[in-house]
Amino acid sequence: MIDELLANPVTLLCVVISLAVVVAGLVFAVTSPRMLLLVIKNLRRNLGRTTITCLATMVLVAMVTMIWTVIYTLDMVTTEKSKDFKLVVTERWQIPSQMPPTHADYLNPESPKFLPELKGMIGPNDFMTWSFYGGTLDPTKFTRENLLFMFVMNPKHIRSMMDDLDTLDPALVKKLGDTRTGVLLGPERLAMINKKVGERIKVTSLNYKGINLELEIVGELPAGRYDQSAIMSDAYFNDELDKYARTTGQKHPLDNKRLNLIWLRVRDRETFSKVGEIVENSPYFADRPVKVETASSGIGTWLAPYADILWRVRWIVVPAIIVSMTLVVANAISISVRERMTEMAVLKVLGYRPGTILKLVLGESMLVGGLAGLGSAVLTYALVNFAMGGIKFPIAFFPAFFVPAWGIAWGFALGAGTSAVGSFLPAWSARSVKVSEVFSKVT
Amino acid sequence: MIVLFGFLLILGAILVVVVVASVLASVFAIGVAVAPVRKVPFRYNLRNIQVRWKTSLVAALAFTIVVCLLTNLLGFVKGMDRLTEGSGVPGNVLVLADGATDEAWSNLPTSSVLQLPRDLQLLIEKNKDGEFLATQEVYVIGTHVIPNAPAGGPKRRFVQMRGLDNVRIAAELHKIELESGEWFSSSGVREIARDHNGSTVKDTALEVVLGSGLAKTFGQDVGKAALEPGDVIEMGRRYWYITGVMKPNNSAFGSEIWTKDRTVQELFGRQNSYNSYVVRTKDEATAKQASKLLKEFRSERAMNAQSELEYYSNLTRTNQQFYIAFMVIAVVVAIGGVLGVMNTMFAAINQRKKDIGVLRILGYRRWQILASILFESLVIALVGGILGLILGYLITDGVSATSIVSSGQGGGKSIVFRAVVDATVLLTGLLFTFVMGAVGGLIPSLSAMRLKPLESLK
Amino acid sequence: MTGQPIVRVRGIHKYFTRGEEKIDVLKNLSLEVPEGEFLGLMGPSGSGKTTLLNLIAGLDRPSAGEVWIRDQLISKMSEADLASWRTRNIGFIFQFYHLLPVLTAYENVELPLLLLPLSSAERQKQVLTALDLVSLTNRMHHRPGQLSGGQQQRVGIARAVVTDPTLIVADEPTGDLDAHSAEEILNLLCELQKSLRKTILLVTHDPRAAERAQRIVHLDKGRLVEGDTSTAIRPAPVGAAAGMQETGIKQQGT
Repeated sequence: MIDELLANPVTLLCVVISLAVVVAGLVFAVTSPRMLLLVIKNLRRNLGRTTITCLATMVLVAMVTMIWTVIYTLDMVTTEKSKDFKLVVTERWQIPSQMPPTHADYLNPESPKFLPELKGMIGPNDFMTWSFYGGTLDPTKFTRENLLFMFVMNPKHIRSMMDDLDTLDPALVKKLGDTRTGVLLGPERLAMINKKVGERIKVTSLNYKGINLELEIVGELPAGRYDQSAIMSDAYFNDELDKYARTTGQKHPLDNKRLNLIWLRVRDRETFSKVGEIVENSPYFADRPVKVETASSGIGTWLAPYADILWRVRWIVVPAIIVSMTLVVANAISISVRERMTEMAVLKVLGYRPGTILKLVLGESMLVGGLAGLGSAVLTYALVNFAMGGIKFPIAFFPAFFVPAWGIAWGFALGAGTSAVGSFLPAWSARSVKVSEVFSKVT
Repeated sequence: MIVLFGFLLILGAILVVVVVASVLASVFAIGVAVAPVRKVPFRYNLRNIQVRWKTSLVAALAFTIVVCLLTNLLGFVKGMDRLTEGSGVPGNVLVLADGATDEAWSNLPTSSVLQLPRDLQLLIEKNKDGEFLATQEVYVIGTHVIPNAPAGGPKRRFVQMRGLDNVRIAAELHKIELESGEWFSSSGVREIARDHNGSTVKDTALEVVLGSGLAKTFGQDVGKAALEPGDVIEMGRRYWYITGVMKPNNSAFGSEIWTKDRTVQELFGRQNSYNSYVVRTKDEATAKQASKLLKEFRSERAMNAQSELEYYSNLTRTNQQFYIAFMVIAVVVAIGGVLGVMNTMFAAINQRKKDIGVLRILGYRRWQILASILFESLVIALVGGILGLILGYLITDGVSATSIVSSGQGGGKSIVFRAVVDATVLLTGLLFTFVMGAVGGLIPSLSAMRLKPLESLK
Repeated sequence: MTGQPIVRVRGIHKYFTRGEEKIDVLKNLSLEVPEGEFLGLMGPSGSGKTTLLNLIAGLDRPSAGEVWIRDQLISKMSEADLASWRTRNIGFIFQFYHLLPVLTAYENVELPLLLLPLSSAERQKQVLTALDLVSLTNRMHHRPGQLSGGQQQRVGIARAVVTDPTLIVADEPTGDLDAHSAEEILNLLCELQKSLRKTILLVTHDPRAAERAQRIVHLDKGRLVEGDTSTAIRPAPVGAAAGMQETGIKQQGT
């Protein structure tokens, strides 16, 4: 959590701003509680305007929080970590990566063919392979509802290697391992195909022509990131490919291309370089050369086509929303300052110092902005993560995005920050109001 | 969940009612404004905007930002749409292996038009030399290690490579012309001399033609505006000699490398296999008919044939996804803008209660007051909105960008395209402005309308 | 005095409610004003004189009783009908002028005309005539803020007469002016009454203003106290049939 914070300057800035605003607010409240009361009374005076400004802030903060959630998540996955790297081994020159199953043996620490040079660098829990199997539940209808896309892997690697699945119920993993034809489905996928745990499904393959499967749903994957996913055991898949060779007399065209990704985990950057060098230069992979990259760099390659759009969102959309938020606040505050110029002048006559008047106006706007921002971010967090099942915006292979807890700091900082900036000019004009001028206008 | 859904439904319904009411009221207000009988003191409203120019300007600026943003985003999607539409040639039939929804996943044997039944052959057009307009193409997505990759950015990129048996026919079929240089030779290779540790060594390079977009992308790697014929790039431990660069023609092919089919097959282990066949028929109707025949003519191994226009229109799913996302963003930001203009108008009315009272006493009716205030907010909205449209057009139209088009998860083509701000984008922006002004003005106008003349004078 | 009185108020009653309390402002009040009369309404604050004026001008409706202007029963008109009736029949002059600050004198005077089916040439003619009447044609492109109080009230008067209304109602028109300007305004009103034969209802508590009226009625606690305090009734100048359009009024001394 703290690592994430330090790795992301925007979030760090938001947290610092939030803390500063809270501290300043507390100091203000403790040193001059009367002033705070005055601020609150002023806000209650034009409830309509306060509500409108509040709503505008909330709507815009919610939008920024959601957009930034996507950007933040993509930033996080493409930022290189400093330790516990996950590495992806894929076919070197082309997409989709299709490797022979023997490739995995050289990299599997539990296999007798494991490359001796790699000993000590990769432990038994640091290895996983993926094959992708896509099929339809109804060969006559290729609708989205009928499609099933599965990770084919060894169940015992789920908890050790799959992101966010380290807390998956071990009993479920055991059940998948024990049931040869078992499959784990994400809750949304399950609802979409209208099946329950315990039921069986027949899948007609799309990418492995002729390899049709009969699966038993043994359990549910946790909601969230794996809502739409499916995981099946590689034992059944491999058996079916062998059976195909036996019954038809020839190997399946994809028999020797059945492995799509090999995952490894290493301690640090140094080990990554070593492993990379060993694997990329090893003669064992010469027939189908492979490349070794960190997960974040691999994902970065996939996201490259989106770079322009993401750039636009980051540098045009988000700033534009923030600027329009500032304008809305500036407008509202300047209106209420103008309406109350006489009052400000009266306060000055009573001996209020310009600085105090500045504080009053700023406090008024930041109280509304900060609270609205905070409320909006909390609401967005709750709605997106618990009611909507994430922001459904499929990019590359991210099906949905979840608001991080830090998102609440973004909202608060954004609300308070734009209010401070937007109300500064009006507050300054209130501060520098000339008593004589104001009273001469009142006839 | 159901509660949330119901809540959203009610919210949506309210929103729709408000929007419809506002738009109707605004159309009415504008109708009154331009009608020959002047019944509403519009000059009074224009004067007020002038007098309160600071507040009006701030409110208008919010509109400028929203509309500019919308124009920019829609122009981006429009550009992607144009490109996908422009990639398919009417009359072309694209044949993939059965089950393959994307070119990259398809696998077909070597074939020839002559193997087709006669009636099918007759549907296929010939060029002026009497050759069938038909190609077999091998299509791979390769990885290219980016030379001088900037730190922190991706180190590799995917490049789309198309191997062709006869590039001249393929060019005619896909309506691709060369901007400079020439097509690769029939051997597909040539001798080059290159620099190696200070001494010149001879090497064999594979000949390629680059899409215009890709020529630019590759050019940027080495600090040039674009690569030109005669340039050599290194990819997959081989040297690639550029014989030509395609004319920019707003199609997905502009982001591809074209080369000899054998080159791709050997390099990527695809001996004797192709990804797609493309044939030209007379027109789109014939293409549909031919697709049907092609699907059925061999029972043992069906093929998936479709007209190229259909294939590319399926590739717009990403475009739609972005379109929807951008629209949602625009609408939400617009709500912010609307609330801003609402504040302005409420304040304006508050300050002018007396004026409104006087107007009512002089005999102006409620609807005339409503129309007048609504008109004022529409003017603010339109001034800001039109400024936003102009700005949006200036910063968007013709700007080159990269993106990806796909039919859903998996596959997809990365493309280089130009953003387009056309009449539909501008009209959408204008409509947006209008609705925003109408909604932002309606509620304050209603409150102005309900002022009691005698009380407002006190 | 020929024909029917132009204003006939019959047994009107008006009360307001403030919370639980019911406040009677006018109690069974009747009043008639002959055409062409300059009537002064006097009374202490809270006597109900402004309320009576508002009822006659069609700004408010009585709780009971009838208000007839010419042959129209305005106390029964709908609010919308009242609005258009006001445009044609009533000219208002306010204590605080109530000019729209963003419009020029010319545009302020033009405001009520926009509601009538007139061509712009006709409008211009009427506005200029009205401004000429109050001798402000030279300042017609100034905004209210650039005019003195007296000048602003003259613009107010021009706005009141520009539609050639049946009745001019003035609520404390001199209340916010210095003695000199007040004098000017009162002269102007007298002249309107004399030369244009306008019926004028003037609400005031300024005795100097009341002096100019032909007849004065006193209101006290919602009832008329007529007769004893009224000044001598001066006969209305009969026969000076003068429509606005025909007049090119010159300022006459009193």
